[in-house]
Amino acid sequence: AGLHRVFDLFTSTAAEPWPESATLYQPLKEDQILLSDCASSLAVQAYLRMCGLPVQVVCKANAEYMSPSGKIPFIHVGNQVVSELGPIVQFTKAKGNSLSDSLEDVQRAEMKAYMELVNNMLLTAELYIQWCDDATAAEISRPRYSSPYSWPLSKILAYQKQWEVRRKMNAVGWGGKTLEQVYEDVSQCCQALSQRLGTQPYFFNKQPTELDALVFGHLFTILTTRLTSTELAERIKSYSNLLSFCRRIEQTYFEDKSS
Amino acid sequence: MGTVHAKSLDPLPMHGRDLGLHPDDLVEPPEPEQESKQEILENKDVVVQHVNVQGLGRTKEDLLGYEISDVFHAKNLIDVMKKSHIARQRLLRLGIFKEVEVLIDTSEGSDALPNGLDVTFEVTEVKRLTGSYNTMVGNNEGSMVLGLKLPNMFGRAEKLTFQFSYGTKETSYGLSFFKPQPGHFERNLTLNMYKVTGQFPWSSLKETDRGASAEFNFPLGMTNHTLKWEGVWRELGCLARSASFAVREESGHSLKSALSHTMSIDSRNSAIFPNRGALLRINQELAGYTGGDASFLKEDFELQLNRRLFWDSVLSASLWGGMLCPIGAQPSCIADRFYLGGPTSVRGFGMYSIGPQSEGDYLGGEAYWAGGLHLYTPLPFRPGKGGFGDLFRTHFFLNAGNLCNLNYGEGPRAHLQKLAECIRWSYGAGIVLRLGNIARLELNYCVPMGVQSGDRICDGVQFGAGIRFL
Repeated sequence: AGLHRVFDLFTSTAAEPWPESATLYQPLKEDQILLSDCASSLAVQAYLRMCGLPVQVVCKANAEYMSPSGKIPFIHVGNQVVSELGPIVQFTKAKGNSLSDSLEDVQRAEMKAYMELVNNMLLTAELYIQWCDDATAAEISRPRYSSPYSWPLSKILAYQKQWEVRRKMNAVGWGGKTLEQVYEDVSQCCQALSQRLGTQPYFFNKQPTELDALVFGHLFTILTTRLTSTELAERIKSYSNLLSFCRRIEQTYFEDKSS
Repeated sequence: MGTVHAKSLDPLPMHGRDLGLHPDDLVEPPEPEQESKQEILENKDVVVQHVNVQGLGRTKEDLLGYEISDVFHAKNLIDVMKKSHIARQRLLRLGIFKEVEVLIDTSEGSDALPNGLDVTFEVTEVKRLTGSYNTMVGNNEGSMVLGLKLPNMFGRAEKLTFQFSYGTKETSYGLSFFKPQPGHFERNLTLNMYKVTGQFPWSSLKETDRGASAEFNFPLGMTNHTLKWEGVWRELGCLARSASFAVREESGHSLKSALSHTMSIDSRNSAIFPNRGALLRINQELAGYTGGDASFLKEDFELQLNRRLFWDSVLSASLWGGMLCPIGAQPSCIADRFYLGGPTSVRGFGMYSIGPQSEGDYLGGEAYWAGGLHLYTPLPFRPGKGGFGDLFRTHFFLNAGNLCNLNYGEGPRAHLQKLAECIRWSYGAGIVLRLGNIARLELNYCVPMGVQSGDRICDGVQFGAGIRFL
């Protein structure tokens, strides 16, 4: 039965049109979701809006555990469940929606490289600040992460997540960094993005691609999320073209969004 | 000076005693003394002057006082032997002695009465630490199980047990501490700590429970009661990538803190093949008022009646039922709901494969009932009577049941109506084998009826092994 379903996935993915009932799942917006998850979720939402694919956003306290890969967000389309931006882009491509089809191979490689940069720098910096900075972890991350659960489960899950992220930070070599170094890394990443963007409306030509969605997701979330210090947001604000880039995408694709 | 050894008094000697005269005795003392001894041994009044227990190591003596005190009230020799036998049974049921031997002798010493007797219990304590090691092989997995037991830890029949199971698919362990009340062994307290993982392929669900519980048992008249608090951290996940979305939605962590009470009355003469008697067990569980995320009230009951009919056959009727009412806004959790179907439940259907389901995964239900009518007979022509053949029975059965979710806004009439529609039932015959005193194996030929769409059936031959059967 399992193998049969895998073949069904490949043959039917292209066949079925995008349903009205497509849903995107993320943790609770008001009390639970953290910076990194919010950024990833916003990136996917921006991408789907850019493709013109409607999706309902549903907030669930156990979204992280529902996800097949354990990462937020994931979408439920038809009877398929796909998580994270990369696989979702592949999934929509199989259904005939793609933003990067018109790119040449060289440009596509460049796009992938910049997306790697954002994931390795911005996302890792967000995780570092959330979980490795003691002040942020104690004031914001642990209370928010554990808010749907009752004591003592809340404490256990929060500390378990913190240990897990710290182990991962050590594995990628960020364990020894200081907060200042992390801010510097973010600045450098923004500088690279700002230079690539220049005065263009989007990173490649006049049409947005998944890179635009990803950058928007992260930058917009950092700018609009309250942390223990405003240092991170300030670093981004020093690049004016990135600011106007975020505003442009917000106005074009999220006008109905009330935030 | 004859000594009367009363080693193991099973069966109780009812027809006089074999005195086992020693050669020395024949040469022994004058007639008058033997006369008086002879009187003692012939059901004259005796007084038990001393009751001793020998061979104690770490066991505290005050514990044993309760069990053996009744021997003092014996009035004649037969009574002494009866009461000693009962006291020996009571000492053995504490689980702290390997062997108990009873010695009844005439009193000696300065304060000895002419009709005085001394009763001595010679006990052998169990070892401080016993271990066991088993390997188990199941469906596509193997595991090794290590057990450690410390019986009679502090000298008053406390018991500490540790069990550890390490397998290819999962690891489980449990620590349990048992303490009976001295003098009232049936009133006892058990503290547990455990981590258990389970896989439920009928729901495509896997569950890891880490928890602790405290349980207090006590008898009250004819009934046995258990009060229990349990706190469990439950982690649910999908067993396969292809699990249905309804099961995926249940993934995650939750904390259940529940108080439960069980009352049971058991007048059957055996747990496995009872000839007569009845069992009634009522259980309720209230979660959410002592903390935790899960909040519900759960009731379930089990009733079994047995009656002997002609020719050694037994008619047995059983009825199970239960209801789960979530308290508050959140819906019930898949781990708390009831399941129905399978070789231990309504036979002829797949394991727990009746009722609400989504894409082939069974989600369980909030209310159920199940009934069974069985006719047990010994094997035809009674092969191996008195030995191996007695472990088998043939049985003819009729099972029925229903599992559904109730809409709690409606009244009880609507609930009963919902439980009465779409009844699944089955009939058939088979062979049952008793394993020890706890479990049984069944091999049945089943014909399922009343099958609803979504149920998975197992018509034809069905095999089942377990402890609790409908």
